[in-house]
Amino acid sequence: MSKKVQAIYLWWHKPVIDQELLQSLPNLKVIANSGVGMDHLDLKLVASFGVKMANAPRAVSSSTADTRMALLLASARRLVEGYHIAISSGMEYCEADFLGVEVTGATLGVTGMDRIGYKIALRAKAFEMNILYHNRTRRKEQEEQAVGTTYCEKVDSLLQQADFVMVVVSLTPQTHKLIGKRELELMKHTATLIKISRGAVIDQEALVTALQTGVIRAAALDVTYPEPRPRDHALLKLKNVIITPHLGIKTHKATYMITEEAVENLLATLNGLSIPIEVLPS
Amino acid sequence: MWYHKPVINEELLQSLPNLKIVASSGVGIDHLDLKLLSSYGVKLSNTPFIVSTDTADMGMALMLASSRRLVEGYQMAVSPDTEYFPADWLGDELSGATLGIVGMGTIGYKVAERAKAFEMKILYHNRNQRNKEEESAVGAIYCKKIDALLQQSDFVLLSVNLTPQTHKLIGKRELELMKPTATLINISRGLVVDQDALVEALQNKVIKAAALDVTYPEPLPRDHPLLKLKNVIITPHIGSATKKTRRLMMENMIESIQAGLTGLPIPNEVL
Repeated sequence: MSKKVQAIYLWWHKPVIDQELLQSLPNLKVIANSGVGMDHLDLKLVASFGVKMANAPRAVSSSTADTRMALLLASARRLVEGYHIAISSGMEYCEADFLGVEVTGATLGVTGMDRIGYKIALRAKAFEMNILYHNRTRRKEQEEQAVGTTYCEKVDSLLQQADFVMVVVSLTPQTHKLIGKRELELMKHTATLIKISRGAVIDQEALVTALQTGVIRAAALDVTYPEPRPRDHALLKLKNVIITPHLGIKTHKATYMITEEAVENLLATLNGLSIPIEVLPS
Repeated sequence: MWYHKPVINEELLQSLPNLKIVASSGVGIDHLDLKLLSSYGVKLSNTPFIVSTDTADMGMALMLASSRRLVEGYQMAVSPDTEYFPADWLGDELSGATLGIVGMGTIGYKVAERAKAFEMKILYHNRNQRNKEEESAVGAIYCKKIDALLQQSDFVLLSVNLTPQTHKLIGKRELELMKPTATLINISRGLVVDQDALVEALQNKVIKAAALDVTYPEPLPRDHPLLKLKNVIITPHIGSATKKTRRLMMENMIESIQAGLTGLPIPNEVL
């Protein structure tokens, strides 16, 4: 059986691609990933076996951008807290001082302006938000103007001005602990941090401390798997944190489109064509 | 007055002979008897436009939270019993879906502006059709009859005033016209919906879900079925509850009060 396997379609990081598996599948030609995140894969290892890697980024962008906005709005308006108050057995009236923060007219800072970042900017623009972005490379002027964004060469400047900071970068050795104590302290104390995908782009301990001491107002995190480890209990219990179970691409439509795109990539490789979206180890 | 308190009735008005003006927070005035106030020579003001963007934002927040199952998801993510996230636990996308806006006033229009950026198709029903520029700016298509809107929409958002004409605008008949995969979002007033009919529709899967910032009464009695349904998100009337807006509302109200007391023209007077 193992000699027949030519392609693997990864769903939620399974099967685990390690030395043992790669050795047992001599005719494996291509691995297609569902979604965008690649940090669970050893790209060099895969390449060393002569196996190609493909991603499915196009399918996820609207869905992921929508999730980010959903988290931003839910956090700003304290939707989850409000829901619990509305259905709680003790509620006789809602406190008149149960207040959130405005979204319309606020400043959104996006770290990373890829396809997803761009779609987020389109949505934020409709909320009349002031949009700042930081990216490895600056986008073209027309693109910036189309969504009304302003480039921040230094991420510090973005952190100091934004009411909502959206971390869009994927995990690489360079982005490990990109947001730590220093960055959180640069943020406004009325600001909200929004992050999709746990993973060490954010220094977890520093985040918990910042949220507990009011260094920042709130956070909304879309995590890839449940985290029952003790140090995360603090994060799970904080009132000013919303955590969601990888909503990013969890829609019927996105699931379908990701699979379509992945299959396209698999077939292209097996037919000796170049992969529409190939991932190369950098 | 805040949150409809104190209640303005005959008794109160008789006991306050020198009352000149009532400044009401927010835009809704359905809780006030205009004729009664006028008969006592008392003027009335509200805060109409300040609340519009926040309320529209709330409408979008509810629509997104409902379609992506955010509240359910939160409970799953923080529960100590969760071992893994099921692969078939999915929500629905906004992009490409149809939003039907019932009541295209200031708030309804702002919702349309926002929904357009999410690549939604927009239908609207209103007493009067908006002009062509306004329609094309948000890509909204007019439905003269509400039935057509109800039959085609994946999300039905209510942003009408509460008047005798809109009281129980959405009842059993209207809910049955909606798609069984549709979601009802209410940011107007609880009484615009026949609440008992809504409960039944949600229990029998006549519609898929509801997200309500307003109910009748507020709050609901603690044993009300709406509080227990899994496919309902309720928030405690926080459509305009942001620090900045509340502050601006207060400033507006004080301006109106000062004008009322000095006999000057009242900003935001309700006639």
